Amino acid sequence: MHEPKKIFVADDDQDILNIIEMMLRSRGYEVVMSSNAEELFACKAEDLPELILMDIWMAGVDGREICGRLKKNKLTSAIPVLFVSANSQIAAITEDCRADGFIAKPFEMKLLLQKVQEHLHASMQAQTCDQISQD
Amino acid sequence: MIKGDKSYNDLLTRINELETKLDESNEIIESIRRGEVDAFIVQNNGTNEIYTLRSADKAFRLFIEKMNQGAVTIGDNGIVLYANTSFAKMVDVPLERVIGQVFLGLIPEAQRQPVSQLIAAAWRDKESRGEITIPGKEGGELPVALYLNQLEIDGGVALGIIASDMSLQKEAQEQKREMEKKDEFITIASHELKTPVTSIKGYIQVLQFNFQQQGNTHAAELLGKVDAQINKLTALISELLDARRIENGQLPLHFDRFDFSALLHEIVEETGRLLPQRLVVEDTTEGVQLFGDRNKLGQVITNIIDNAGKYSPPSSKIIVQAKAEQNILALYVKDQGIGIPRDQQQKIFERFFRVKGKKENTYAGLGLGLYISAEIIFRHQGRIGVESEEGKGSTFYFQLPVIRGENLSASA
Ligand SMILES: Nc1ncnc2c1ncn2[C@@H]1O[C@H](COP(=O)(O)OP(=O)(O)O)[C@@H](O)[C@H]1O
Ligand SMILES: [Mg+2]
Repeated sequence: MHEPKKIFVADDDQDILNIIEMMLRSRGYEVVMSSNAEELFACKAEDLPELILMDIWMAGVDGREICGRLKKNKLTSAIPVLFVSANSQIAAITEDCRADGFIAKPFEMKLLLQKVQEHLHASMQAQTCDQISQD
Repeated sequence: MIKGDKSYNDLLTRINELETKLDESNEIIESIRRGEVDAFIVQNNGTNEIYTLRSADKAFRLFIEKMNQGAVTIGDNGIVLYANTSFAKMVDVPLERVIGQVFLGLIPEAQRQPVSQLIAAAWRDKESRGEITIPGKEGGELPVALYLNQLEIDGGVALGIIASDMSLQKEAQEQKREMEKKDEFITIASHELKTPVTSIKGYIQVLQFNFQQQGNTHAAELLGKVDAQINKLTALISELLDARRIENGQLPLHFDRFDFSALLHEIVEETGRLLPQRLVVEDTTEGVQLFGDRNKLGQVITNIIDNAGKYSPPSSKIIVQAKAEQNILALYVKDQGIGIPRDQQQKIFERFFRVKGKKENTYAGLGLGLYISAEIIFRHQGRIGVESEEGKGSTFYFQLPVIRGENLSASA
């Protein structure tokens, strides 16, 4: 059995964090919750998550800015970032910030799980390709 | 004073002559002003003198005369050589009293200092610009932007001054700011309303999942109904806010390439939960790609199916038919409901419009769904419409252009 995939969830709303955690745990993911996405930058390389779900407006923290920094950083640029937000411009913001996808609030549990799976799968394939080409 | 012994009749004739001449002169001046005259001949001591107008460009003269900005030319002695009507209106002096006046004399006392500085600067640097306020109508203030430019006329020099009434621009800016404020309010309100709904919906779905795992299908089913109602609430929130956005002219759409059939089936599944066993789907659009805002088009389909369910008897069937022919995709939603009177079939796409009648009054709604749907379809270069007979039912449809070929990029 593989190790459970680690997913980092950032939102300033504790209820949403609980909900997403319950949804993801029910499918066997490991979940790291945070009300401050800045914590990502304090992570050691081996502690980095395999996928990031992040709100856009997070009480003083701007998800767009965090996403920009993640995508510029070599260590984190390959981690898929999905915005989870009630912002009506979410599709445009996702494109502008080069995030990997988005889930509009309020969301369907089914859709959330499906997107998470899709992006984990895609990034795993990309990694395998990388490794093959490096070998 | 009466000279000589001319009779009363002679005098009358003379007055008539003079009046005619005056009329002629006025006509000539008017014609020059209107740009109808390029040259005229004056008889002087038996010889004809031809006077041409230097700037014989009619269009240009007319333009200056008619333009909204004030236009003035002053000589190096500060005297007004020319002014247009707009300028006369700005300084509230009749046009015929503006020409020949000292320019600074027309400017309110308080603004003479800055204006004289602008004039000096224009003589020195060939041009200058600045903004002043002059008394406007009804005791208000009129912001005026001045642009001064040195001109060479008749071998001499003059200053051309263009005075632009900035109040319209200021008003437009103000309106723009108001709109932005409104839009910001809508954006924030939308976000704030959706946030608690997200939590409610989330907990409901987790509970539903847990009940399913425990085999309590009844509880899971009930929660499914709660979830469907929450979706309705979400749709209402979006409807109100989208209608406001359309009014402000800024309903944001995000165009992307997507599979229509997949979207249709998602929506049918979702709307079908509140219309059990009523939707009959005939879809032959498999693989058809559209370029558009997937969420918003989903909203249109939801809307039309919801309406079909709402305005028809509880167990009657609703036929949802999707076809693609050539470059057009069409969706038809046919119900066996109350129908719509012919004279109101176009009006139902207007904001807040709802058919009135004994029967119709018993249905609740905001009258925004079709208004928003029509806007969304138009923004996709599509068509939306209805065929309906009272008491028999309605068929709502829309048509959208289809993407053909594989290599079309998905960027907007
Ligand atoms: N399928 C239908 N059958 C009969 N009448 C309809 C149907 N769909 C819409 N209408 C009429 O058009 C009006 C506008 O529809 P809509 O914009 O969706 O607003 P709402 O449903 O909230 O009243 C409705 O009030 C109703 O009178
Ligand atoms: Mg409706």
